[in-house]
Amino acid sequence: MKPFIRRQGGDYALLIAVVLLAVIGTVFIYSASNYSAAATYGDALYFVKKQVIGIALGVVAMICAALYDYKKLKKFTVVVAILSFVALALVFVPGIGVENYGAKRWIGLGAFTLQPSEIAKFSLILFSATYFSAYKERAANFSGVLPVLLFGGTVCLFVILEPNMSITVCIALLMMTVIFAAGLKIKAMLLIILPAAFAGVVLILIEPYRLSRLAAFLNPWESPKGEGYQLLQSLYALGSGGWFGVGLFNSRQKYAFLPFAESDFILSVIGEEIGFIGLVFFFALLAFIVFRGLRAARRAKDVFGFILATGIAMIFGIQVVVNALVVSGSIPPTGLPLPLVSSGNTSIIIFMAEAGVVFNISRKGTGTF
Amino acid sequence: MPIKIRESPKIKTDFSITVLRKRLLAIYIAITFLFCFVLGRLFYVQVIWGEDLQEKAIDQWTREIPVVAARGEITDINGVVLAANDDTYTVFVRKKAVKDLNALCTALAETLSLNYEYVYKRLTETVSSEITVKKQVRKDAVNALLKYGFDGVYYSRDNSRVYPYNEFLTQVLGFTSTDGKGQSGLELYYDKYLKGIDGEILYETDIVGVEIDGGKVSYIPATGGLNLKLTIDYEIQQLAEAATAEAMTVHKAKSAQMLILDPQSGAIRALAIKPSYNLNEISRSDISLLYALSRNSLLSDVYEPGSTFKILTAAADIEEYLNGNPKAFSPTHIFNSSRYRYIDGQKVKCWSNHANGKHASLNLQGGLNNSCNPIFVDIAMSLGKDTMYKYIDLFNYGRTTGVDFSGEAQGMILPISAVQNVDLARIAFGQTIAVSGLQLAAATAAAINGGKYYTPYFAEEIYSGGIIAEKIKPKMKHRVISEKASAILSEMLEGVVRDGSGKKAYIEGYRVAGKTGTAQKYENGVIAAGKYVASFVGYFPANAPKYLALVIIDEPQGEYYGSTVAAPYAKQVFEGIINLKNLPPVE
Repeated sequence: MKPFIRRQGGDYALLIAVVLLAVIGTVFIYSASNYSAAATYGDALYFVKKQVIGIALGVVAMICAALYDYKKLKKFTVVVAILSFVALALVFVPGIGVENYGAKRWIGLGAFTLQPSEIAKFSLILFSATYFSAYKERAANFSGVLPVLLFGGTVCLFVILEPNMSITVCIALLMMTVIFAAGLKIKAMLLIILPAAFAGVVLILIEPYRLSRLAAFLNPWESPKGEGYQLLQSLYALGSGGWFGVGLFNSRQKYAFLPFAESDFILSVIGEEIGFIGLVFFFALLAFIVFRGLRAARRAKDVFGFILATGIAMIFGIQVVVNALVVSGSIPPTGLPLPLVSSGNTSIIIFMAEAGVVFNISRKGTGTF
Repeated sequence: MPIKIRESPKIKTDFSITVLRKRLLAIYIAITFLFCFVLGRLFYVQVIWGEDLQEKAIDQWTREIPVVAARGEITDINGVVLAANDDTYTVFVRKKAVKDLNALCTALAETLSLNYEYVYKRLTETVSSEITVKKQVRKDAVNALLKYGFDGVYYSRDNSRVYPYNEFLTQVLGFTSTDGKGQSGLELYYDKYLKGIDGEILYETDIVGVEIDGGKVSYIPATGGLNLKLTIDYEIQQLAEAATAEAMTVHKAKSAQMLILDPQSGAIRALAIKPSYNLNEISRSDISLLYALSRNSLLSDVYEPGSTFKILTAAADIEEYLNGNPKAFSPTHIFNSSRYRYIDGQKVKCWSNHANGKHASLNLQGGLNNSCNPIFVDIAMSLGKDTMYKYIDLFNYGRTTGVDFSGEAQGMILPISAVQNVDLARIAFGQTIAVSGLQLAAATAAAINGGKYYTPYFAEEIYSGGIIAEKIKPKMKHRVISEKASAILSEMLEGVVRDGSGKKAYIEGYRVAGKTGTAQKYENGVIAAGKYVASFVGYFPANAPKYLALVIIDEPQGEYYGSTVAAPYAKQVFEGIINLKNLPPVE
């Protein structure tokens, strides 16, 4: 039996792990981006500086969330929902929405850009937690989870219109995880999963670029300079890493061979530099964060905390897995950041704030579950 | 322990904390499984597949500039350089490293005598990151360009082949492509020795070819090609070149060819073919003409040899006679003096009309001296086709000689199963058979050198910097006739030059021997009127032959007999050799 006081203190290990991961991420952002940043922006530290600002803001957000009673978050459910939908809609407003690589995924806020889908993910978690804590007995039936499905479905619709297939998939998986965690019957789950899977296939078929990416995924060597390029470069990076890696800062693939090396494909550079053995430790850290989040959920003393912690831990876990599967060529390439590691301010601030929320849950936890 | 639910106003019985616990456990298991799956996949990519992937990746990490190996020289047997290299350079530009494009284009245009627009277009419109501006740029132009100190301009030695004697040994030496690969002749045949091993300068770059600061540059030096020393004697070749050139003008021939070899080894001392061209000015624009002029017709083309082939028939008779074959004629046998022989109802006649006692009461020596066809018909008919074909085979007709040169002809011989008596009768004096000049020369050498067939060859040795990589030794294939038969034959052939049709090759005191030949040319299977091949194969000294020459004058205008058209050039060259080598008379 551990002393009561320590439990009251909350899960500091989680916070340390999160900050450690963000710092490690920054080191690799430097490694992956210094060459191309110097060439493109004339500043080798361009992405590093942005990331440091993001982490600083993230730490502030994390501390605030950690100190703020998570139960009071319920009040903000509606406000956050409205905010996130407005932000999602603003992406499509010319002059505010920022288009990159053919997709409108950001809105401009002065020097910073904001990715509304990152807020929307948290909004979905908060909404589900609030809803299921209010109607926990309804969670078993299909009709009972409909409001969550409606909410999640709407978010998905906005995100897929950007378009952003991978975030959509992550949000859909998150939604399924949350209603599964809340206790929806397995039969009812299937009733949702099957049509969702069908919708996924349709979405791939109606967008020619997704189809060609799928073909390139199946045989990247057929179009090494075209659709298969990104995947091949990622595999080259990982393959060059071997058992022990080429050493920190020694990546060769970062010399403009691997696009998005500092963001969506940072795991390739990490794998190249620290090798498979290094990645085992790296994934241990990622898994630690997920498990600490689930541990907070297990110990939450109410359904609200339980759903909130599960949702936060799982959106982190889902994104890690999907990102790693993309980078290792297991599923077709899509643009999805590695949480807390990839360059990107919105993502890092939100994830760190969410870690603060989980900490607060763990702090109040009594080990009920 | 039951969960404390404060938020919910109503607690339904179907809400169970156990379900939530179970669900969370399932999530634990699922996420653990997914992480394990990801690690498994990463293990596969990084560890199992890694080496293969890295190999592919290395390709894209480096760029290379070739360092062309110096091509080996070709010299004559005394070291006179027949094919050498000029130090020239390929000028490259690496676009990404260029700072002032206009200044560079101006300088390149000026120093390399190129058009500014051309250079500008090349540098701006070429997709690759290394652009070849010009090949085979001379050293002084490179030096001029170096003075500017431009970034992004690179030079790599590429060599230009030069042939110091221009139109000389043309068809034997052959030529190389602009990037230094052997394309014909010995340049092609010995390309693998001459070419050497190209080196590379490898440097690490980013994706567009910009060199990485602190990137490794590895220099793999080129290994120069091996030198080739030929059996060719530059001075004798000069004589042959001059003689064939003269024959072309004097006789307005279609072609004049001369082959000189050492009958005691098969080493080829000279091979000249006219018309020819300057190896330093290759007309690459007219490929078919270049191909025709580059053809080594003494090896690659066949012709009906005519009377020079009688050497084989005589050799067969002498050898068979010495071996006691009753069907062979004794050297003293006097043949029937008639101009005609009737073979299976067909009339075979002598080129001479036999009038006024010509070709009367001849023995074998007389038959050779006068080149009397019926005598050789008699020999062939008497020996029979099996014996005749045995000698054709021994003298290596119908097969390539094995000379170190590509594209050798086999000749054309009726298969023994198809040959009729009348065919055999004609073969006896060199018709109904086609051979290459080299086959005839090599076979004649075997007949008169004591009876040993040597494979003719061009390469004396392959060497590099004083180290001999390979010394080529004469290759004796087999014996064709006995030493005694060979000596008797040689004496007879000496008589041909002294007393017979070969008189115009006679040199007092040097025991020149030989045999003339005059053949009518066939075109589309019928005799082409007025088209002859005049030839002479001769050697000296008859008792210990050292130089054997085959002269072929193709389609001479006016006079067309081997004795008057071809033999004098053999004499001319033999006299030249005697002068050059300061050879004392043998008698």
